[in-house]
Amino acid sequence: MNEISIAARDVILAFVDDEHLMGQQHTEWIGVAPFLEEDLAFASIGQDELGHAAMLLEALVGTDDADIDALAFYREASQWRSCALVEVTLPEWSDTLLRHWLYDAAEELRWQLFQGSSVQLLADISVRALSEERFHRQHGDALLDVLLRVDDAHDRIMASLHKVLPLALTMFDGAPSEADALVEGVISGSLISLLGDWQQRVDHRFGPVDWDQIVRPVLSQRKERHDDFAPLLARMLEVLDLDRTVTW
Amino acid sequence: MAIFEVFLKKDGRDEFRHVGALDAANDELALVSARECYVRRAEGDLLWVVRRDNILSPEREFTAPNADKPHRHHSGEAVAARRKALREMTKAQPDE
Repeated sequence: MNEISIAARDVILAFVDDEHLMGQQHTEWIGVAPFLEEDLAFASIGQDELGHAAMLLEALVGTDDADIDALAFYREASQWRSCALVEVTLPEWSDTLLRHWLYDAAEELRWQLFQGSSVQLLADISVRALSEERFHRQHGDALLDVLLRVDDAHDRIMASLHKVLPLALTMFDGAPSEADALVEGVISGSLISLLGDWQQRVDHRFGPVDWDQIVRPVLSQRKERHDDFAPLLARMLEVLDLDRTVTW
Repeated sequence: MAIFEVFLKKDGRDEFRHVGALDAANDELALVSARECYVRRAEGDLLWVVRRDNILSPEREFTAPNADKPHRHHSGEAVAARRKALREMTKAQPDE
């Protein structure tokens, strides 16, 4: 296994935690999405994101379940490296759909940062993840293609876009050691370097956004958590905490 | 929305089998939904998604008359039974 430096661990955790929480959020729509096909699709896509998180966690700690659980679930809140976009609870389906699209539009770019990584395992994982992401984007785009043509749906989606965009900007906040990881060749660019490409994708999909009017979030190098994080983590631990020693 | 029927086939063996149906707004969403709803555990390698409206399905009466034609069943049982009876008859009377 490749030696994982402190800086590499930091940028990997930023991705692990985003994927883990995004997967969790998607799977929470099982049974309550607007129609059956969508709640299955959302949960299935969520499972892909959880799979990506698991692959990255294995790269960090190996395949021991206890070690993976400790890292995936039992860190102090300040040690998590997720962004507010994936921590926030969005009870409205249209907001969730927008989060799905905005997240996946950035996720492809984020995996591309790992493609030529000095950590070979990350480069390998990125190939697999990118092959799956194509279908996540197709799902989001196919839904939006239909909904944006309907007046009422169009208005709701555009309202959701402007509600979710400030949160989405937190995706581009780099982890504390990101600059070192860049020097080490773990990643080929910073998260903030992806912002321009991502904004172009947003403009292309929804029409030009007046980016100056979008409220800039306060960034913390991913060290601070959104208010919705604690209840989200509590839901995630509800079953695991029944008996931490059991093998599922 | 339209109803689509979903069929799956494992590569290189078996035939396409009907696995279920789904609602979708258009062909692309039908394919996307079929992928996520019916193939997410690699249940099949090949996928057919067909609009239910495109399936030709006559009334039940169209096929009903053929339910009562035993003479069209050629399992060979009748012939085998006759040959067996003939063999046993020959055994019982070897000198004739």
